Amino acid sequence: MTDTKETIVVTGVGVVSPYGEGLASLQLGLLSGKCCLAPVRNLYPGFEGTTAQVGELPFLGQGASSRYSRTDRLALAAAQDAVADLDRASFAFRESGVVMASTVAGLSEIDPGIAQDPAAWYRHGGLARAASYPVSHVAASVGEHLGIHGPNCGVSVACASGAVAIALAANLLLDGAAPMILAGGSDALCPFTLSGFNSLQALDSGPCRPFDRNRQGLNLGEGAAVLVLETLAGATARRANILAVLCGWAMTNDASHPTAPHKEGTGLAECIGRAMEMAECDADEIGYVNAHGTGTLLNDVAEANAYRKAFSGRSCPIPVSSTKSYLGHCLGAAGALEAAIAITAIRCGALFPTLRLKDPIECPGIDWLRGEVRRQPLPLAMSVSAGFGGSNAALIFGSGRP
Amino acid sequence: MTANLPIVTGIGSVSPYGSLAGLIPPSLLEPSLEPSSTPWATRGTRRAFLVDPFRPASMVTGLKTRRLDRLSAWALVAASLAIQDAGIDLATVDRYRVAVIFATGFGCVELTESFYRSAAENGWSGTDPITFPETLTNAPAAHVALLHGLRGPNITVAGKSFAGESAMIQAASLIRHGQAELAIVLAGDTLTKPVYEWYEAANLLSPSCYNSDLLANATGFVRFVPSEGVAALVLEPAGSREAQSYAHLRSGRWAAGGQPAESIRQMLGGAVLNLIVCAGNGAPCAASPLASLARRIAGPDAAIVPPQAVAAGLADTGALLHLILALSGRPRSGQALLLATSGETGFAAIHLELP
Repeated sequence: MTDTKETIVVTGVGVVSPYGEGLASLQLGLLSGKCCLAPVRNLYPGFEGTTAQVGELPFLGQGASSRYSRTDRLALAAAQDAVADLDRASFAFRESGVVMASTVAGLSEIDPGIAQDPAAWYRHGGLARAASYPVSHVAASVGEHLGIHGPNCGVSVACASGAVAIALAANLLLDGAAPMILAGGSDALCPFTLSGFNSLQALDSGPCRPFDRNRQGLNLGEGAAVLVLETLAGATARRANILAVLCGWAMTNDASHPTAPHKEGTGLAECIGRAMEMAECDADEIGYVNAHGTGTLLNDVAEANAYRKAFSGRSCPIPVSSTKSYLGHCLGAAGALEAAIAITAIRCGALFPTLRLKDPIECPGIDWLRGEVRRQPLPLAMSVSAGFGGSNAALIFGSGRP
Repeated sequence: MTANLPIVTGIGSVSPYGSLAGLIPPSLLEPSLEPSSTPWATRGTRRAFLVDPFRPASMVTGLKTRRLDRLSAWALVAASLAIQDAGIDLATVDRYRVAVIFATGFGCVELTESFYRSAAENGWSGTDPITFPETLTNAPAAHVALLHGLRGPNITVAGKSFAGESAMIQAASLIRHGQAELAIVLAGDTLTKPVYEWYEAANLLSPSCYNSDLLANATGFVRFVPSEGVAALVLEPAGSREAQSYAHLRSGRWAAGGQPAESIRQMLGGAVLNLIVCAGNGAPCAASPLASLARRIAGPDAAIVPPQAVAAGLADTGALLHLILALSGRPRSGQALLLATSGETGFAAIHLELP
């Protein structure tokens, strides 16, 4: 029998992506195979490349643009979308928690002038902008803007941040820390990160080709996604519409290199195994893996090796794709956006192919999804994230239907 | 909630008191530490609680930190000292079951500033690829994992006012749910000129930052003296091995608002407190509600330890250092509460049982 206090369910999903606002726009975009990556120039002087940008953000109230960074505003828009159907006067809503991930946070509002003469930079309008710098500001802004009082936490674990935020929120729910938790990630495009990845020669100047032998690197994107998580008992008590069940989650670290993943994907394979252990499912039951799939030389090989190991017991190859080929790499938001995509895949019974995947990495045991959207019932889907510093996270979502 | 409740078995710190394994010796606590002059050029004297420069390799043999942010270097030293203090032989531990949870307010600001400087000098097209990954907020936790081969959950958290408390509570949660059998919890920040000048521009600095005749007394100030450092604790399930115990972590809560006194009483479940350790961050908003909340929660026999200026100067990440100072400074036994507030009704509370 299901322990309703130990079962974590998703009762809301809010998304702001280059497709626009809302889960419906994300679903429509993915099903149509629309790629949001586009050539862009002069995001800083001299930059030419390919990114995926979010258009106009919804109006968030007077003064919001001066108090909140772009990362904050993306998070606020996604959070508002996630809670659109909730009774905001309810106890559960008021006491809910916020766990929001970001890597960029308020860096989007800061320019190099701060390093030359900080006091002058603050005097000339930088003081308020610098206030949004801490990673905690994103979660604090969401809590403040929605008027909710529960535990409030920022998370920054590089590109695994969004998934880690969801895992930590699930733990907090099991502890009874709050009746529900808004968990996700948000990151805006900004010169700091573009320049950083460019300096590492990690960017593909054209649209990225995850898992292709001829891949050249990643494209940066921006966006935010927020899941409303609560226990099945809580959701049932308030007759909430259950969108998905978070069946399992796990986090590990490679502990092998500051930036590169472990070549054999050992830590990631362990992470996937632990998530399946928690979900009490075997490798054959996972119908789809939404991969981290950045398109960099090192990541994609390590990830393929991890899948080969983790799914070695399957009776048929594991279907895998990277939706970064549609939306770019949204850094701290990526794990949350991809969790939303995994939920969308389950709800639509649709496995989204990797775009531009012509010549996949050779790896037995992996069914690289490419070409058309594959339609099939999908009881369980996994979203996998990894990041600089060796962090890995795996989330397993289920339809909740027997 | 009693299964797998963790105990604190190791302490390490890099702080204005020095780099130390275990508690801070009484000789360093008396007389009270005074702020020192900041090393960066200003238009007058500016003071803060600063960590004296030291070679990390002198504390942890073979440590290479030349390219790391000071925050990463200090995290490596503090974690190593805590592991040493706990007497853990990591060779005997399943490294996939060892978590690292790091709390920070500002992250690797030193190298972030350096990256901005390189952008100012060379343009965004001429930034340094070696510096960039070290600017990431999770770099310190990642380096701790890399140095010690720790392959469990590696998490960096930030929280307005309560980052340290949040890290402790979430580390305990990982242990309670069997996602880790050992957790290294760290909290800290470094002080740089832009951070200090932001405090100054925001009018948050205590008068004693400008005048050495004014004592940085935590109980009386309305603003704060910034501080820096990293504190580390080793948490492991009670009874997992023969080990010293500084404290038993019974439960914890934090919230951005609500009814702090009621929530904390509910958490304590009738436990009679002997000690309340106030871990305020020293900002004006923290001082008054913290004192009154502590008085409301305390029973007739509970001693209340006010916020300590050196730890309060760490703002969001002072909780661990507050706890270490409290354990170092007074006889320990009975039920204790680590308590902090933020704004009118935000609070963090951790219920500890002291041996």
